[in-house]
Amino acid sequence: MKFGIFFEMSTPRPFTGGIEPQVFMNALEQARLVDELGFDWVWAVEHHFLEEYSHCSAPEVVLAAVAAQTARVRIGHGAVVCVPEMNHPIRVAERCATLDIISGGRLEVGTARSSTWTELGGFNANPDDTKKTWDEFVRVLPKMWADEHVSYEGNCFSMPERNVLPKPVQKPHPPMWVTVTSPGTELDAAERGLGCLGVAAAGYQEQERRTKEYFQRIESCDPVGSVVTKEVTTLNFLFCHEDAGHAAKMGMGMVGQFGLTNSHLMWTREAFPTRAYQSLGNLAPKTDRAKTGGPGDAYGIPEGICVGDPEIIIAALKRWESLGLTGINFLLNGLETIPQQQVLDSLRLFAREVMPQFTTDHHAAVQ
Amino acid sequence: MLTGTGPVDEFLTHAATLDAFDVSAVTMHEAEILQATYEIRIGGRQVSLPPGLHPTNPPTFVAQLWRCHDSPWGPFALAQARIGSRSGLRPRGFVQGCVCDNDAATEALRRGWGFPVQRGSVTLLRHYDATVATVAIGDHQVFEMTALDPDPLGPDDVSYSTAANLAQTPRGLRLVQVDVDVTVQRAERVKPRLGCFDGVRWGVHASVVPYHPVSASTAVGAITIQRLRYVSKPDELAFTSTEAL
Repeated sequence: MKFGIFFEMSTPRPFTGGIEPQVFMNALEQARLVDELGFDWVWAVEHHFLEEYSHCSAPEVVLAAVAAQTARVRIGHGAVVCVPEMNHPIRVAERCATLDIISGGRLEVGTARSSTWTELGGFNANPDDTKKTWDEFVRVLPKMWADEHVSYEGNCFSMPERNVLPKPVQKPHPPMWVTVTSPGTELDAAERGLGCLGVAAAGYQEQERRTKEYFQRIESCDPVGSVVTKEVTTLNFLFCHEDAGHAAKMGMGMVGQFGLTNSHLMWTREAFPTRAYQSLGNLAPKTDRAKTGGPGDAYGIPEGICVGDPEIIIAALKRWESLGLTGINFLLNGLETIPQQQVLDSLRLFAREVMPQFTTDHHAAVQ
Repeated sequence: MLTGTGPVDEFLTHAATLDAFDVSAVTMHEAEILQATYEIRIGGRQVSLPPGLHPTNPPTFVAQLWRCHDSPWGPFALAQARIGSRSGLRPRGFVQGCVCDNDAATEALRRGWGFPVQRGSVTLLRHYDATVATVAIGDHQVFEMTALDPDPLGPDDVSYSTAANLAQTPRGLRLVQVDVDVTVQRAERVKPRLGCFDGVRWGVHASVVPYHPVSASTAVGAITIQRLRYVSKPDELAFTSTEAL
């Protein structure tokens, strides 16, 4: 089981008074710490216009800073929105290759298509087209990285023969992923040989089904590039404290704030009738209080949420691991609900008490 | 987290009065629906809602028109002017203005579910190339839309949010949650062209100007206005003020 952290850059109002710089500086400090502690990934999302929920509109810049300030942790561009109105595919290839160079070959490239009308409408992108453009992007990006000269004749863009530069350090190209919110996208991932970057935590049963189908389907994949990324991760929250009661109080406050800002997004399906968005794409990990039975029950911690003392978190993670997941990415804060020092202490406690229960070669080497 | 800042009194002009919460669910089969969503200026997103609701990002105005060929009150057409919002975590269309062309339906919708209905005329004419909708109060037209180029969708591709009606109730002034379920038989996406909009006469807050079209759809299906289950206070967030009925 691998572990990562996931930056949304969730920022509380008012946006004046230096809070935005503080959120970004806190994130970089967290990245430096998880690098020392042996975490596997630092991911940064790409979102636009999502006031409070996510101010992470230029993840490639954030990740360049993370790359420069860390040594071991892998750099997750999670995920590039593959909509040409937002990102031209040539620029995506160039930026990713540059990040791979700067990070010394530590880049993971996530791909996505955006779930909100707020973002798609803001860029005047047609929601009907985003699955199509995503599919074009994921097929052409590996060619731009691996081939010396590329020409392309497509629907969302075309280009005459050029050498897209620079080339990534990782050969033939960095691992590729797709964010999974809508049911069925895990199969899209599998068929293309892409990692399944879960950003909407399903319940245990649904996650087990998705994971099983993914691993079955990827065995017969037609990879978009030369690298098959055979991974399934999901998104969770993390707040670890010796006192489970304190953990519940602080952690569930974060969960609640994140869920609230998440619910206030204008989902594409809500605003724009289309066949291309069959679900709301709600990113908030499910916190179904009706489904209990875990060791965190006494503290009101919903099933599967990694909030609690080390024992509670180990139990939750063992369950997720048993479903076949290869990794979990954690949100560490929401609207800065948890003071930065407590976030850092939570990470240290997690690394000391929880991670050894899920040792990988990487963790062992670091620890 | 943003909330509405509009004084509750500003939304009472057409508010209905409920004597009880005991209304039964009503279903109108083969009803025709036009729903058009427009972005409104961000500057008005908070003043156009009471403090108990949260604005969406971006803020939206939704015109939802029904043409019901059969109902307990006879055929009627209803035009709702809604502001997109959230009540706690839940999507709600805050209904600020309503026009209905049937006296009995007007009375029933006001007294039963708290819709702020005014009597007027509503037309909803669906053609193969376009749908034309008009809403008038007296001789004054408040809304006119032509929705062009119908493009077929699946029945599950359109969605409708729950309504929130500000009304006088036995528990005092409340936002009445009205669950409206639509079982869609067929649906099309259409391109809205707004010809006329007089929001204030319709009952919409003066700050609301639909300036940027998002989408529109037409549909045919069964509309069920459910019995009432919840109310909340208009000047207090739903987390603390929601009351089960």
